[in-house]
Formats: sequence, structure tokens, C-alpha cells
Amino acid sequence: MAIATNKGLSLAREIYADRSKRVRELRRDGKKIVGYICLYPPVEIITALGLVPFRIFGDMSEPITAADRVSTTMVCPFVRSILDLGLKGKFDFLDGVVGAHTCDIGAGIILQWRDAIKDAPFTHLLDVPHTDHAPAVDYFEGQINSFKRHIEELAGEKLTDDKLKKACEMHNEQRKLVRQLYDLRKPDPPLLSSAENLEVMVALSSLPVEEGNSLLEDIIQEVTERKVKPSPKKVRLLVWGPVFDNTALYDLIESADAHVVVDDTCVGTRAFWADVKPPYNLHALAQHYLVDIKCPRTYRQAEPFETRRDYDKDLDSRFNYIKKAIVDWGVNGVVLQSVKYCDTHGYEVPNLRHYLDTLGIPSIYIEHDYSERSMAPIKTRVEAFVETLG
Amino acid sequence: MDIIASKLFFTGIDIGSTMSKAAVVDAEGVMLGYVIGPTGAEHRRRANMVMEDVLAKCGVSLDEIAYIISTGYGRVNVPFADKQVTELTCHARGVAALFPDVRTAIDIGGQDAKVLKIKNGKLVDFLTNDKCAAGTGRFLEVAAETLGLELNEMGRISLQSDTPVKINSLCTIFAQQEIIASLSEGKPLPDILAGVYIAIATRVVKLARQLKVEPPVVFTGGVAKNGGMVKAIEAVLGMPVSVPPEPLITGCLGAAILARDEAFKLINRGEYKLQKKQLSEAYIEFTEKTR
Amino acid sequence: MSDSVAPAKTEQKRAINRLKSMYPLRNLVAQDYINTLQASNEGKPTVWAMLNYWEGDLPLKAMGLNIVYPENYSTLMASSGTAEPFLDASDSDGFPTHMCGYGRSTIGYSFRMMKQNDGKIPPEAPMGGMAKPTLLLGSGIICDARFKWFQALSRYFDAPEWCLEMPMMGTFEGTEPDLEEYQVKFLVRELRDFIAFLEKLLGKKMDWAKLEELIEVGIKIHETCWQIHELRKVSPCPMHSTDFWSSMPPALFFAGDMYEALKCYQDMLTEVQERVKNKVAAINYPEKYRIVFAELPPWHSLKFFDNLAEMGWNFVYESYGYHNPRPPDLSKVSDPVEKLARLSRNFVFNVHPYAKADGIENPIVETYLRIAKGWKADGLFLHPLISCRAASAGLRSVQDQLQKRLDVPTLWVEGDIIDKRVFNPQETLARAEAFEQTMEHYRKVRKSRGLDW
Repeated sequence: MAIATNKGLSLAREIYADRSKRVRELRRDGKKIVGYICLYPPVEIITALGLVPFRIFGDMSEPITAADRVSTTMVCPFVRSILDLGLKGKFDFLDGVVGAHTCDIGAGIILQWRDAIKDAPFTHLLDVPHTDHAPAVDYFEGQINSFKRHIEELAGEKLTDDKLKKACEMHNEQRKLVRQLYDLRKPDPPLLSSAENLEVMVALSSLPVEEGNSLLEDIIQEVTERKVKPSPKKVRLLVWGPVFDNTALYDLIESADAHVVVDDTCVGTRAFWADVKPPYNLHALAQHYLVDIKCPRTYRQAEPFETRRDYDKDLDSRFNYIKKAIVDWGVNGVVLQSVKYCDTHGYEVPNLRHYLDTLGIPSIYIEHDYSERSMAPIKTRVEAFVETLG
Repeated sequence: MDIIASKLFFTGIDIGSTMSKAAVVDAEGVMLGYVIGPTGAEHRRRANMVMEDVLAKCGVSLDEIAYIISTGYGRVNVPFADKQVTELTCHARGVAALFPDVRTAIDIGGQDAKVLKIKNGKLVDFLTNDKCAAGTGRFLEVAAETLGLELNEMGRISLQSDTPVKINSLCTIFAQQEIIASLSEGKPLPDILAGVYIAIATRVVKLARQLKVEPPVVFTGGVAKNGGMVKAIEAVLGMPVSVPPEPLITGCLGAAILARDEAFKLINRGEYKLQKKQLSEAYIEFTEKTR
Repeated sequence: MSDSVAPAKTEQKRAINRLKSMYPLRNLVAQDYINTLQASNEGKPTVWAMLNYWEGDLPLKAMGLNIVYPENYSTLMASSGTAEPFLDASDSDGFPTHMCGYGRSTIGYSFRMMKQNDGKIPPEAPMGGMAKPTLLLGSGIICDARFKWFQALSRYFDAPEWCLEMPMMGTFEGTEPDLEEYQVKFLVRELRDFIAFLEKLLGKKMDWAKLEELIEVGIKIHETCWQIHELRKVSPCPMHSTDFWSSMPPALFFAGDMYEALKCYQDMLTEVQERVKNKVAAINYPEKYRIVFAELPPWHSLKFFDNLAEMGWNFVYESYGYHNPRPPDLSKVSDPVEKLARLSRNFVFNVHPYAKADGIENPIVETYLRIAKGWKADGLFLHPLISCRAASAGLRSVQDQLQKRLDVPTLWVEGDIIDKRVFNPQETLARAEAFEQTMEHYRKVRKSRGLDW
């Protein structure tokens, strides 16, 4: 007889450690698994068509060896890691892969997938415009429509308004639950650690939405009732930056006298701040992904058609959601992390730091090459940063 | 300060990548003495030896040491330390103890370089270079090996140069090739050495400029003992720098002073004795094991 | 645009046989810098623009604006050896050091101008410098850096930025039916908004007649350039890559007076035709090897190509990102904005149908396959850059596919567009010598496979 099924945080940890385990089971049961890269492919459509969305990450503990055949060393190591895993056959459980032109190098993954990896029978690349201009939103709606038509072939069924509405509601429910999960870190000390939180977030990206939602409900209850609470620490930090899908950084920071209480990263809050709005059609999805998700990859300005750019106003229009998180979570320091060669985040660094300076929030910038071994040299700097905040 | 506190002493131990240092201060924060020795492969044994040496040198017994802070690259390998603090915070504290007005500190060690911004004796901002040997003491060692010189004679020779050779390469290996090329072109040795110093200084000052250098500037670390290097830093920075009499010990001195501050905090909380006992037991146990 | 502005006196002794018609074209871009400085002094608006593949250039020109291109200016910094202090200035203001060399040069320049020199041009700036901008025109074509780094300049300038749009797709999506009309519709709406913005910013109306006229001149320039480079397919190749790089700005971003540029390119076409007729090569040595260069050249070390010319290496094509494709037939399109959209879009999507036919997904790979075949390349010189992702990321696939499909070998030489310290010419020359054996070998392999070069 099987022993009782794992649940709550320990289930999240189990999935974090073996991400494809559940989707492989589902696949054996006849489900089709669709891998997606970055935040921009609308998972609602994948879910609505009865497919299982699975976010593709790299692996910080796996040395990059195979990818040198198709990519140069001076491009984003996260992208290189995905290509590397793909070439090594580690995504053999995927029935489809969806990429997005979130950044130029990231979009290239799909091109390489088709030319070199050839592992999934279905691939699609969504063009994402660079701005949040009104014509760009309409154009992106067209892109989502092309994606919908294409993926209907994989699903063998048509998307109906009803199915899409139901999927949007389920994903919105997940967004609401994730916000509740993050609320658990508002008290001081926070009720769960940032590494635990990341395990949950990675687990969600590896499960069908309904399973993710019930996992979240269990975890919120478990954490609220937990007897042993984390110990109080001197400092409450926010972590900013591009994709970070490994607990190594959070463990490293929390080994210093600091809690990470909130983040602005695409594995953390970015996809969950805002809901998809009714009437849950393709235009609403375009609006949600292109306009409501705040990632530096999209060009934004304080006012459309502005003829003069005011530095402070410009920064406030782009970063005030971070200010809100700082206030709501009682943050007293920010760690800006970036993977090397990330253009979209790199150009933000001095400007975001200036913005934080004006808020009186100290910050530190660290860069790494998306490998666990690149974490060690960061340790002393993070600890010293925490010491300066004392 | 009460009577008990005035009899106590405090130690800072800095296990750096190449050298280990320790210092003892009294209840007033005044340094009794220090020791410096090579780190070697076995951090734990080294920590133990440095501790014994510094106690012997200062004529203080272990029972009189109230609190120990370890710092530096090997700080986790000091089993009898009460607390670990990064070398950045300790350096800042040590430099400020010697130069109370200091605003900027530049430290070039064997494997890394750091720039500290200090305000009212406290670390407020910093940058480090730990990725690249160029701009650290390692670069000097490579140059010395290439030129067949002893490290301690390089500075003196370089001071004879008026026209330093330009070394362009960012990478230590390429720079080594450039040094060899300059040699084969018959460039004078002092000019080559001065060029090496300028190259290191340029890397480090670049780091410093990111933090907006404010005077007074203090230059520390093993490399600061080298007159040629001091001259190069001043030239590239365009302002004078102060060098402590012993530039290697700012880290352990800062750690010792922080140990004193921390111990007083504990004394005030009534937790001091407990700490003391743990310290002694850990030390004795470790000493017995390693002997 | 890289070497000194005055024509060389001892032309016949040079390893590379430069086209006389190149020099006036090279001078046109210098004129833009001077005009922009003058305009700025007179209080007239000035623009810093990114390469935008004409959708932005032409409306700006039709509005009578003076434009400089920081990407181009960065190459001038690199080739004049003045980039380093600007790179350092960018680092000192907290920008990560791993980003685009052009971006870092421009950021450093802006920092020096606005934070250290009271808004005036830094004295060490080459070519008299770039005048302070009233508008920053960013573009999303080819790389993200080129709208992000202008956005980051809000740190220094209160000039507004406009970010131009352009779709980016793989072969599969880029060849969907009805795609072109859907994209053109998007671009037309964007461009109308852009023009409305320009009118608001400048307080004057677009000169539509002028815009139509300039589009026509631009199409003629592109057609002429396309003809010139088609002629380079012959052996010996009559025009060297260095001549292309020196003469490209008036076609790549319509530098200088467009009417004059058209005349200059027509002269160039005539000179190249003459050379073809008389079998004159672009190098003053027998053409032993026909080499294609990818992608951006080492601007600081162009003399290096002389050494290769002495070895009989003729560089017959280069830098697809700097070449305009043959312009599409737009004679039936009456709306100038739509013409503009189609002209510009064609740069990005012209190769997709061929890629689909060849079963290739990455358009850059297809582009180089076509170039290698068309220009009969003995080898490709691949120049991945430490500071440019866009021009480096696809090169491994280019290398892979060229070898597999055409038996054309590649020489892989890491370097940079700005930072000369990472490029090692001596070592590269030694490798080039060894590479000749490889090229000889694959010549035989191609013959045995029935390929015609």
C-alpha cells in the first residue's frame, strides 16, 4: 500500500526537487504537457484547452556543456542553461513548447528548439511588442489569437468563451491565493522563509492550476497554524531582478541576519499582482500580459506622448509598484540581483537604485551567472550589506 | 565602565586568503598588540595558532578574553569565535579607529580589492572585486614572478621611473604577455614596474569612482606596504592617501573593537558570563583535539 | 567611417584597393555631426536616434531634423581610440559592465556631458562630439538594448524618448498567411502616432509631400546599393568589406543629404561595374580566398584587414544587419506611411520565405547560407563580441549549419566592437594562416559534392 500522500509545504518541496514528476504522471494518464518560457505566454489558453502548462526553467546546478554547440558564451546563462537541458533531452516529457519575444535572446530559444533540440512536436513563438502603446496591445491580441488557433490543433479542440472564462477564473484564484501566501510574510518575523516561498512558487509552475490552488490552500492553512515560527532578524529585504528559480540565493541571504519578505522577480510576484479582468477575452489577456505585468522588458513612460521627460516622475511611473511593496511589507533594504548579460534589467540598475535612494532605502546590486557556484562569492557582500543596515 | 569590564580584553581574528592576523584590545578599545602569519591550507589550525600567538604576545590569558570576533575569507573556520562579521564591516571599523575622519578606504589584498565608504566610523557602502586577479595583490605576484623579482624590492625599483610603460590588458594572463613584450623591447625595469602599479591602481580606482571617492582616503591591505603602489594610487586618484603603520591589521583591529562593543552590549543585558563560558569550553575542546 | 577622413595619398601601395567613390559617401556622415552641432548652437532641435531601418529616419528627415546616431558615434570613438574613458564613466555611474559597448560609450558620453561638463560637449569627444538631444528615438528592431539604453538616459537628459515598434518572429510564425497585412496595420498605426508625437513636440505639421519624396529617394538608394553588392558575386570581387563599412551610413540610416547620397551610390555602382568589366579586384593581391564577415567588425583594428589582404583574403560580403535588402515594389501603395511600414518591415521579414523553404528556423542562419552560396564563400570570419548579444547569439548556429549544409568552414575569432583589449591580432593572423589549409580542404569537399565553388 502506498503511504499517505505528501501535502502542503513538504509536497511543494518534493515538487521543487523533482519538477517534472507530477506532469510525467499526468502525461501517462493521457494529458498533454505544454512547456512555456518566461511569463508572457498566456497560460489561461493552455489550461482552457485541457492542456497542462509547465514553466520551463534552467538548472543552476547543471554545468552547461551541450549548449556551446548552438550558443556563444556571452549570452544570457539562463537561456544557455535551458538550451543545454533541451539538448540533453531533459524536456522529453513535453508535448509542446511555447516561447515569447520577451527579450531577443529569450525568443531565440524557440528558434534553437526547432533547429537543434527538435524534442517537442509542437512549438510556438509569440511576438510581444516592446511598448504598452494602444496599437501594440491590439497587435499582441492578434498574436494571442494566432497562438490560440495553433494550439487548438495540439489540443484537438476549439477554445470557447466559456472554457476561457473558467480558466481565467481559476488562474485569478491562483493569483489571489499567491497574494495571500505573500501576506504571510508581512508580519515580523515573517511566517515562512523566502526559500520555502520559492519552493511553493516553483511548484505552482509545475502543476495544473487546480492542483496548484489546492496546494496553496493547504500551505496557507499549514503556515498559519505552524507552531514553530521563524526567529526574528534585524533586516527585512526585497529581492529584485530577472528569473531566479533556485533557493540558493534566498538561503544565502537568510543565513545573514535578514529575512527576504517580498520580491519583484518573475518567479515570484510579477505574474500575480494583477488579475485578468472581465470579460476574459483575448483582448483582456493582451492587456493583462503586456500592460499589467511589470517587467523591464516593456518600454513605459510617465505619460503617453510626453514631450519632456522628468527623471523623478519617469522613475516613479515605472517603479512605484516597488515602493508600494516596500511600504506594505516593511522593507528596509533591497537586493538587486541580475543574471549576467541581461540587457533589459541591466539598464535599470542605476536608475532603480537612484529611485530607492530617494525613498531612503539602501540597496545592493549583485550579478551572477545562473549557477550555484556563482553564489559563494556573493555571500560576503550580502552579509556586509546586512551589517550596514544594522 | 564597571570594574569587571575593565579587566577584560577582546580579540579580533582575520583569516584572509593569504595572511591571518589577530589583535587584542582592552576595555578602552586600545590595542595591546597583534600578530600576522600566513594562512596556509588549514584555516582551523591557523586560527588556533594565531590566537595563541597573540595572547602570548600581549601577555593576556584566555580567561581574560571576553569576546572574539572572526572575520575575513576564513571567518567560518574559527570555532571559538563568538561571532562572525564580514571583513568589510571590520575593515571600516579598524580604519576609522586609526583615522577617525576617514570617508573612503581602499583595501587591496592578496586575492581581492575592496572600496569602503565610511561615515562617522561606520560602513555605509562598499564595492568589491573578487572575480578578477587584475587589480589585486595576485597581479603583483604574477608580475614579480615574470620579472624574477622579490615582491619587497619591486616598490623601491619602481620609484625610479618617470615614464611608466602602458599596460592595456584587462586580463592577468594577457598583461603578463605585455610585460614580457616590454622586457624584450628593452624597456627599463623601473618603467615596467611602475606600469604594473599604474595598471592595478587604475582597476581599483575605477571601482572606487563608482562610489564617488571622498577625502580623506586611507589605503590598506598587504599591497599598501609597497611605496610604488601608494604612489600609483595617489597619481591615478589625484589625491593623497594615508597608510596606517601596519596596513595589514585594520581588519583584525576592527574585529577586536567590534568584539568589545558587542561584549558590552551583552554585559548590559546580563548575558556576558554565559558567552564567556561557551568561549572557553569551545577553545579548550578544540585545542585538545588538534594537539 | 572608420579611418581618417582624407583620401589616402599612396593608394596604389595599399593592400586593399579602395573604391574612389567610397570617400564622398564616408564624408556624408561627418556632415551630419557638423550640421547637428550647428543646429544645436542655433537652438534648433536635434535628435539622437537608434538604427531603426528607416521607419523613423525618414519622418525625422522630412521634418527637417538633424540627427546623429550614437551607435555610429560609438564606432568613431572606437576607431579613434577614445572610447575607454567613456566606458569607464559609464561604469563609474553604476551601469553593469557586461552590457553593450555602444550603450556604455553613449552612457559614459552623456554622463561626462551632463554631470561633469555642465551640459557641454566633453573636450575629449572625437569629431566635435554629439550635440545635446531634444529627442531620443529608440528602436526595438534587432536588440532590446537600443530602447533600454535610451530609456536609461533619463538620468541625464530631459529629452523625451519615443520607442519604435517592429515585430520579431521565427520562420513558422513569420510566414503565416495574412501576416503581412496584420503587421503593416500595426506599424501604420504606430507610425501615425509617432508622427503626431513629432508634430506635438516640434509644434509644426509633417511635410507629407517631402516625406513621399524622401521615401522615393530612399528606395532608389536601396535599389542602387543592392545592385552594387550583387556585383560583388563575381571573381575577383571588386569591393572589399572595409569599403562597405565606410560607405554604409547613407543607406543604413540615410546619413547626409539623400539626393547627394543617391548620386554618390550611383557613382559607386559605375565604378564597381568598371572594375567588374576590367576584372579589377578589391585587393592588390591575387584573390586566393573569398571571405564573408559576420557580424560587426572590430572598428578599432580595421588595419588588420590589410594584413589579411596581403595573404590574398578578399572580403566579399559582410554584416547582414547593415545591408538593406532589395526594396519591395511599392509603386501601388499610395499612403506614404504604409510605404514606410512596408519598406521597413521588409528588412526583418524578407528572408523568412526562403528559410521556410530550406527548413531553417533562425532567419540569421538562412541569411548567411544564402550569402555563402551567392557570393561563393571559401570561409566565414565569425566575430562574436563580448559586449553585443544580438550580433553574437546566432553565430554558433551559423557555423554549425554552414559546415553541415555547404561544407563552408568558419574562423571563430572573439573580439569586440569597442574594447580593443580583448582582440588579439597577432594570434588571429597565425590562426588565419592555418585556416587556409582548412579552406583548401573544403574546396575539394564541395567540388566532390558537386557544389560550384
